[in-house]
Amino acid sequence: MQDNEAQGAIEKILYMHPGVREAAAVDDGRDGFVAFVVPDQSFLDGISGRGSAGTTLLGKWQKTFDLSQLSKEAASAPVGLNTIGWNSSYTRQQIPVEEIKEWVENTVEDILLLSPTSVYEIGCGTGMLLMRIAPRCERYVGVDFSPVVLSRVREQLQTTPAIAERVEIMERRADDFDGLDENTFDTVVINSVVQYFPSAAYLTGVLENAIRIVRPGGHVYVGDVRSLPLLHAFAASVELFQASDETNGGELRDRIRRRVEREQELVLSPAYFLSLRERFPKLSRVEIRPIRGRADNEMSRYRYEAILHIDRESGASTVDEFLDCAERKFSLDEIRSMLAQNPNKRIGIKRIQNARIARDLAALEAVLDTDAELTMGEIRHTLDEAAEKGIHPQDILDLETQGWGFSVVLSWAACRPDGSYDACFVPADSMQEAAMPAIGWPEPDASEFACTANAPGKGRLRKELVEHLAAHCSQNLPLEMVPHDYMLVDKLTLTPNGEIDSRALLGARTASCRS
Amino acid sequence: MKGKAEIHEFVRELLTASGDDGPLTDDDSLLLSGRLQSIDAVEIVVFLEENFGIDFAQIGFDRDEIDSIDLIFALTQATASAN
Repeated sequence: MQDNEAQGAIEKILYMHPGVREAAAVDDGRDGFVAFVVPDQSFLDGISGRGSAGTTLLGKWQKTFDLSQLSKEAASAPVGLNTIGWNSSYTRQQIPVEEIKEWVENTVEDILLLSPTSVYEIGCGTGMLLMRIAPRCERYVGVDFSPVVLSRVREQLQTTPAIAERVEIMERRADDFDGLDENTFDTVVINSVVQYFPSAAYLTGVLENAIRIVRPGGHVYVGDVRSLPLLHAFAASVELFQASDETNGGELRDRIRRRVEREQELVLSPAYFLSLRERFPKLSRVEIRPIRGRADNEMSRYRYEAILHIDRESGASTVDEFLDCAERKFSLDEIRSMLAQNPNKRIGIKRIQNARIARDLAALEAVLDTDAELTMGEIRHTLDEAAEKGIHPQDILDLETQGWGFSVVLSWAACRPDGSYDACFVPADSMQEAAMPAIGWPEPDASEFACTANAPGKGRLRKELVEHLAAHCSQNLPLEMVPHDYMLVDKLTLTPNGEIDSRALLGARTASCRS
Repeated sequence: MKGKAEIHEFVRELLTASGDDGPLTDDDSLLLSGRLQSIDAVEIVVFLEENFGIDFAQIGFDRDEIDSIDLIFALTQATASAN
């Protein structure tokens, strides 16, 4: 049987399974066929035994936030800095207040650079951003789904009447835009919230409305987004931190796999935000930036901000070329010399090794590569050297204030699984739009767009679906046609001609296996 | 009123649902140890509200007070005597 006939026969069998919405069989040229499947959501909901798993998950998060504010400490938290419930995945204790403060202040600074005057904040929580940004705005609407959390904001506003007069607070879900007209605000803020959304589809619905209510020239700021390309590195770093010296490599691998599988939060690739440009014509540009700051925690290591520009003239990029740091191994001093020698030129540098997570990535690699019997104590011993590698993103950003005459912008749009980032140095006097120069950043290839989000709380269900599919194919196909692997994807990537992009799908699988 | 055995059974189900089939004793840490996640605390709270009539909005909530089967049982006892 010809390859394409076999593919057709396999796909026909896959489509007979109720858990399959779309399917493609691709010969990997080595081990045989791989099945790529877009799962059927109602089938997953069915095997989960719940009518609507999405609503259940949202309900649980709402109750989690309500409970967090019922503690004695919450009642006495300082105005604008209620950090109750901000627990570290590493220590399971509260993240130090100074670290949260740096993160909040940097976030506020980034949002103020968008020059907001009328803001709609989804998930305003206890008002950490609201209390800082509202004084600079004419109107600030904060919404949240947790009534207990909102009561904390109201208490704070009672003590600050000057802020209260321009603030409106509403208890409503993120996807409730009832009564909000098109072009009402210049800025929508969704900070540290999307991880509690039940699915990427839910987020897309929220963003569709967020984009609708923003006026031309405005922005949707989505902050503190957890990175999907780095999810395994994050899981490895947490498990490595918590493991005793006696834990062996095999056990650690199991724990990392289980942590990713049990993930209850929505984790997104930057490619998710880049792909919105095709879907929403009002989106003129998308910026993806790693979190700024010196504090070393899961936010600074593994999260990013996505800035969506609405109907804004973007202008052409003037960066001719991005110099490849992975090839040329620039040091920070060499970058400084480059700036000194080219004072009037835009300089782009790509693939800068990320010092924040060099040790975590080395840990992941060590755990995947080493013998199961090697203990954590032995693995940790080999990692100290890795910690010295790369350049800290904040070291690059700090060049802006060191008198070189350049503004500095970073990007994580390339979605590389090694967490490397790109930088652009723009001569300060040539900037037309101070905070937001239009730059043609490196972007990922098509394979990254096949799977741009995880399925929170559904890791086990997805695994179960793959087992069902494997049994179904084994029963209904001759042995040589049974796929040797199954991969669940968000969509089947297509070529410009509208055909299945086998290369992109196999590329996505390679990236996933590497993780 | 339900007792410690029911609490043990409920926690066992929660752990199994999250893929943890390891041994469970009544003084094992559940949340601070990371065996259960913060979102799982909600399941425990709803269980206590529905089966023991505990009103957390009234008494306040502290994660440390439901960190083991022994602690959860003590909380149900304290609430029962207060009522």
